[in-house]
Amino acid sequence: MTKNDVLLKLENVSRIYKMGQINVKALDNVSLEIMKGEFIVILGPSGSGKTTLLNLIGGMDSPTSGKIMSDGIETTALDEKGLTRYRRDHIGFVFQFFNLIPSLTARENIEFAAELVKDSRNVLETLQIVGLGDRGGHFPSELSGGEQQRVAIARAIVKDPPLLLCDEPTGDLDFDTGKHILSAMRKINQEGNKTILLVTHNTAIGDMADRVVRMRSGEIVEITENTSPIDPEDLRW
Amino acid sequence: MKMNKLERKLIRDLWSSKGLFIAVTIIIFLAVAFFGAMFMAYQNLNDSYDYSYEKLRFADFTVKVSQDALEAIDELEKIEGVETVTGRMNAEDIALTLPDTQTKKVSARVISLPSSDTARADVVNDVLVEEGNYFLNNEGLSLLVEKNFADHHELKPGQMVHLTLEEEDIGFGIAGIVASPEYIFPAESRQNFMPSSEVWGVVFVPEDIITLLKRPVNEFCFLIKDGADYDSIITEVETILDQYQVMDIVPREDQPSYTGLEMDLEQFATLAELFPLLFIIVGAMATYILLTRIVYNQRPQIGLMRATGYSRRQVMVHYLGFALFIGLVGSIAGIIVGHFLSEGITHFYASMINLPYTTMEIQWISIGGGIILGLLPCIISGIIPAFTASRILPAEAMRTPTPSAGRKLLIEKMFPFLTRLSSVWKIPLRNIFRNRRRSIYTAIGVTFGVSLILVSAIMIDSMVDLIDFQFNKIQRYDARVQFSEEQPASLVDEFAGWDGVEKAEPLLEIPVRLENGEKSYSTLLVALPSDTELRGIYSPSRERIAVSNEGIMLTEALSDTLDVDKGDTLTLWGSEQLEVVGFVKDPMGSFGYVSLELAQSMAGMDVISGMLLEVNPEYEDIIRDKAYKAGAASVELSSETKESVDKMMESGMVMLYIMLLFGATLALAIVFTTVTVNILERRREIATMRTLGESKGRIVAMITIENLLLGMVALIPGIVLGYVLAWYFFSLFQGDMFSMDLVVFPRTYVMTIGIVVLIMLISQVPGIRSINRLNLAQVTKEQAS
Ligand SMILES: Nc1ncnc2c1ncn2[C@@H]1O[C@H](COP(=O)(O)OP(=O)(O)OP(=O)(O)O)[C@@H](O)[C@H]1O
Ligand SMILES: [Mg+2]
Repeated sequence: MTKNDVLLKLENVSRIYKMGQINVKALDNVSLEIMKGEFIVILGPSGSGKTTLLNLIGGMDSPTSGKIMSDGIETTALDEKGLTRYRRDHIGFVFQFFNLIPSLTARENIEFAAELVKDSRNVLETLQIVGLGDRGGHFPSELSGGEQQRVAIARAIVKDPPLLLCDEPTGDLDFDTGKHILSAMRKINQEGNKTILLVTHNTAIGDMADRVVRMRSGEIVEITENTSPIDPEDLRW
Repeated sequence: MKMNKLERKLIRDLWSSKGLFIAVTIIIFLAVAFFGAMFMAYQNLNDSYDYSYEKLRFADFTVKVSQDALEAIDELEKIEGVETVTGRMNAEDIALTLPDTQTKKVSARVISLPSSDTARADVVNDVLVEEGNYFLNNEGLSLLVEKNFADHHELKPGQMVHLTLEEEDIGFGIAGIVASPEYIFPAESRQNFMPSSEVWGVVFVPEDIITLLKRPVNEFCFLIKDGADYDSIITEVETILDQYQVMDIVPREDQPSYTGLEMDLEQFATLAELFPLLFIIVGAMATYILLTRIVYNQRPQIGLMRATGYSRRQVMVHYLGFALFIGLVGSIAGIIVGHFLSEGITHFYASMINLPYTTMEIQWISIGGGIILGLLPCIISGIIPAFTASRILPAEAMRTPTPSAGRKLLIEKMFPFLTRLSSVWKIPLRNIFRNRRRSIYTAIGVTFGVSLILVSAIMIDSMVDLIDFQFNKIQRYDARVQFSEEQPASLVDEFAGWDGVEKAEPLLEIPVRLENGEKSYSTLLVALPSDTELRGIYSPSRERIAVSNEGIMLTEALSDTLDVDKGDTLTLWGSEQLEVVGFVKDPMGSFGYVSLELAQSMAGMDVISGMLLEVNPEYEDIIRDKAYKAGAASVELSSETKESVDKMMESGMVMLYIMLLFGATLALAIVFTTVTVNILERRREIATMRTLGESKGRIVAMITIENLLLGMVALIPGIVLGYVLAWYFFSLFQGDMFSMDLVVFPRTYVMTIGIVVLIMLISQVPGIRSINRLNLAQVTKEQAS
């Protein structure tokens, strides 16, 4: 498999929310191709449709119109059961809010996902990757916001999915931890040949991506390619 | 067994809301325990009755004639379908002098039994010797005393009693104390259903002394073969016995003791079904409310499960697990406790009613029924929230919750002054309308709580009222004298002249068959002076009225039984006609009332059968002795009757208070559940209020105001529901032998409201405490997870 295989293909995808009389165009006729193993950073102001885009790609929601091909599957043609299976086997999510089950410990939260697939990664190993090797026994309420987000990342990668969708994973993190996490993600991306879509407000992070997608008002306004993405450790913000 | 993480989450979630789950589980537990205890006891008793009836060969029907019919027995035995027939003497109203007293007499029913043990083998209506022996045939005359009667007077084998026959006292040694299938419930007749053992009882004598007693063989007890044609047997029996004047044919179903026990059992079964049903409805409601709120609160977690790849089915099963837990734990614990309780109840009950044989088995049907009873409603009420959970769209669930719209209320627009209320009042008011579903749940919880307490309280009130009505309004006499034969009316004046007798009123009671076309009813015609003071006669609306000279007055129940209305004509003794002139209220028994003049003119004689006396309490004993000497068959003192009724009622009242306790517990459980859910759900909101500077005290005040306002709203439907339920319970127990008015004392409403308010305040405590312990920082952090 090379970097040039298309993993993800969106064709004229729109998502319109009906709010009484008004139609909110959260995504407006978006087309996009993403290669296997790419690290994509999605930038855009609040309300520009970033989360909506991730949800559609991740099979959490269905577009009003348009077609999505992911990993050889036409997800827009899947039924409810098919979408569940798709999410289970192909996607790892890191959400913007609400990421953990409060009544399970960090480790159990990861196992919670691992138990769903046959060939999951080692749970402890994923904890170490996000730098929480010694905090596995803690409950979410005993972890800081950043630590919680790292557990969420570990949980996303433990299923070893080909596609990781991360919504503001570093939003709550301090500079050093943020960088540490980003390095870990880059490593997963490179060594495991995983495709990663990362949503952020932080334009600086764009520098580590293979490509940067800029969104505004539900549209992709610009896609820039980084010929030489920098090492996350060298990021400055 | 290794738990998967979803199961672990279930256990942890259960644990973290253990108070709530325990409360709801207790409701289910109480329902199943109550059902199990009552229904298994019912089954045990039912089996025990059947077994006792079979062992003692309880008659399928009994025929009473007025002349000696001993010679008819051979012919009766030959009737096709008759298995066995026993002819016996049944002599009423024979004065019996109790041991160690020269004067204390009771009116005895004397029944003959085979003289020897060997002849007893297939006698119908046999007895079980519980103490002493069957008849002794060496040491003079002996008799057997029925157990209820013996217990009341503490009679023991070896003691002597005397029967007065033809003015002559004959001594009998008590050979044994026996239980009889005909007198397990010691009713004299359907009319005199609860005779006081103080004045009435049953004894058995050997049949070889019937001639000595100079009484006829006047009763036949039949056992018929399985599948035999009952009606044709009756027809043949009637033909054969016609020449001896058939007085009464009583099928087993109408036998007073049998009926009494059946009624009792029915009450058991009804209680066993209805009361738990109420609990179960409440339990199911509580489960539903609890689960709905859990699902609502766990929306993000559900979204997460679905996003991670858990299927709809897995989500559904997970949330159904909460309901399943409640149902399983509640019903299994309930059925175990119920089983042991049922044994206790069976033993207690069997010993209370002197049941000859008690059988007890593990009642698998009840066990299965109990578990289904507890489990099924939980599952059903869990399905909707669990299904809702499985349908939540993951993308929707993962969005930050949009705050529900805060807006001015309609009532605020209608009553502008409300907007000027201080926020301690305004916020609770807005909250009530803002989350209507939550408010409705709380209100429903309180509604059930109120109705459960009220329904038990109404039963207590009605019972108290019944006793008061019977003993202070109807039975105004202090003593009631009865003669075994009719006496001249002039005897009243003689009694009235005695020292200590303040007033004497004549009384004439004549057995009668009331007929209206096809419908008929056998009872007593009670004749009283039209201006009677010692026997209160009340209209159905409880106004004191005079006895009519113009016609007959009936109890309300007879209006149904005989299908008559005011103005209709009844036939008495097959010949006399009387107009129904009105109805009277009589809680115990169903009689026909006429004025003494009318009765005497119909009889053509100035006779009485008894007297009602008002006496100076100090003279009670002396007057009783004198009355016996003057030929009275029995003298009933109201003070003694009241005492024994009070004793009997005690156990009934205990039962009702236990029900009240159950009701209050249930109310506590449901109110606690709804109130706690309501409070805990608002942790975030309350934390925000706290960070904005609201004091704990003001927050507690707001919560209390909100809950109490909802409680007030729920009072009215709660009272209505309680009343309807009580009314329904009552309608089940009304009949010709017993009728009860639904009575609620005003203080009961006050008490009910007081208990419910108290319960609401108590229910708030755990929720408020947990809020006061809120770590503001932590709550805010929880939003992120
Ligand atoms: N379920 C919904 N109903 C109505 N409107 C919605 C819904 N979900 C999203 N929107 C709207 O669609 C638009 C895009 O939302 P989206 O959540 O994708 O923005 P975003 O780029 O992720 O913003 P942020 O950076 O603040 O997270 C917004 O205007 C939002 O209000
Ligand atoms: Mg977003």
